[in-house]
Amino acid sequence: LLLLLLPAAHGIVEVGPRPALTREQLEGVTTASTFVLDQPRCTFKDYGDAVIWLVVALDKGISNFNSSAGPGTPETAFQSFPESVSAYMTLNATLDSYPCPKPAGDITVLRVGSETSCAKDASRPTCNGPLPGPGPYRVKFLALEGSVPVAETDWSKPITLRTAKSPSSIPTAGSGHSAGMIAITAILSILLAILLAALVAMLVFCGSDSCGSSTFSKPESVTVRRYNTHHVYDQPAARL
Amino acid sequence: MAKSDDCVHILQGLLVFGNVVIGMCGIALTAECIYVVSNPHGAYPLLKATENSDIHAAAWIGIFVGLALFALAILGIIGVIKASRTLLLAYIILMLITFAFEMASSITAATHQDSQTPNVLLKQMLERYQKSDPNNNSDNEVTKTWDELMRQNHCCGVNGPSDWQEYTSAFRDTHSDADYPWPRACCVLDAKGLPVNLDGCKLGVSGYYNSNGCYDAMSGPVNTHAWGVAWFGFAILCWTFCVLLGTMFYWSGIEY
Repeated sequence: LLLLLLPAAHGIVEVGPRPALTREQLEGVTTASTFVLDQPRCTFKDYGDAVIWLVVALDKGISNFNSSAGPGTPETAFQSFPESVSAYMTLNATLDSYPCPKPAGDITVLRVGSETSCAKDASRPTCNGPLPGPGPYRVKFLALEGSVPVAETDWSKPITLRTAKSPSSIPTAGSGHSAGMIAITAILSILLAILLAALVAMLVFCGSDSCGSSTFSKPESVTVRRYNTHHVYDQPAARL
Repeated sequence: MAKSDDCVHILQGLLVFGNVVIGMCGIALTAECIYVVSNPHGAYPLLKATENSDIHAAAWIGIFVGLALFALAILGIIGVIKASRTLLLAYIILMLITFAFEMASSITAATHQDSQTPNVLLKQMLERYQKSDPNNNSDNEVTKTWDELMRQNHCCGVNGPSDWQEYTSAFRDTHSDADYPWPRACCVLDAKGLPVNLDGCKLGVSGYYNSNGCYDAMSGPVNTHAWGVAWFGFAILCWTFCVLLGTMFYWSGIEY
């Protein structure tokens, strides 16, 4: 009997599906301090009068959350999360904001962590402020009629946010030399070496007048230099 | 003798032709290197900031080598026609010196391509973009250049907007992650320079933000220039090698 009484006393109906990161292709599904959920369309369609709240908690703090805690109280204030508050409540909306069914083609998401202006403002305990660390976090939706909770979803799977590395961890060492550069260097070095060797050979063997005199003849005007003067003396001798 | 006369004339003709080609290629090399040096492509301040201006050193050497090649080609033509040993010896030695310089330029340009990895630019961008130090002029240059680059080429970061999420940065120190997952310049902007849909941009809805990285837009023109200087120089040198060998053979056959 006692067991039957307990659920009746609570009166909170569990509805599904549980919240999840959006399936839309968005670059910012998770960032370092925000994440994006799908809106709870059609989840609370039987509770037309309720106000739907989002409860955000650290993975290790979900057992401390009491569904009868009220939003906007110090026990659920965002500004004290996670030091003294194990779960905060934010992003309240009536069912009108989540019409069912969702029109095809619309992007219906909730960005958790988008309000930066009230992050330190204690007078706004239901602020949707940026999350203070990488998590992992778990969320659930809670429907309240007045201050009485009437329906809730199950806790989501743990959501871990991105952690940024320091730029000094980027390796900037040279990636080695490409094939093209090695080819250029090798081939040009060989060509230069051959040329220098040929130059040395050319100067050593042909530096003095020791090669090629019969191979090429110079242009006509130069042959005058080869004229042997002793012919002049011979001719008069032969005539006599 | 007639046969070897023909051989001589053929060899002379080939050498003159070879030198004409070298002269023209020298002019072309000078023109190409002047273009590379003076081309105001947008990414130059970033290259200057990374102290990686090998390509400019290579291009400057290329300008003077090109002019030298042209002058030496004329000297070579005169030397071949006159069959003068001294002229041709001077030609060969000066050509070898020019060959060495052009070799240096070509290898430098080829090395530049290897050292220009995205990581160097990524690190520079993360450390200096929007670094709020009003005294440091070169940081402001980096910021202005990146903003212009991202707006004109519709790109974001080096590899993509995820650069700003994966690493901490000088930008992240002054701009909160929730308000600025990536800089506003990564959003699709309207004619006034304001984001078309700021929430869409912050969420990363395609169509409202630039999803591709800027590395291709930046490195593309610079790498083409480096490629041009390196391989054109290499081609000229191969041709010069043949002409020089021919000239040396011709020189050794000239009567004293």
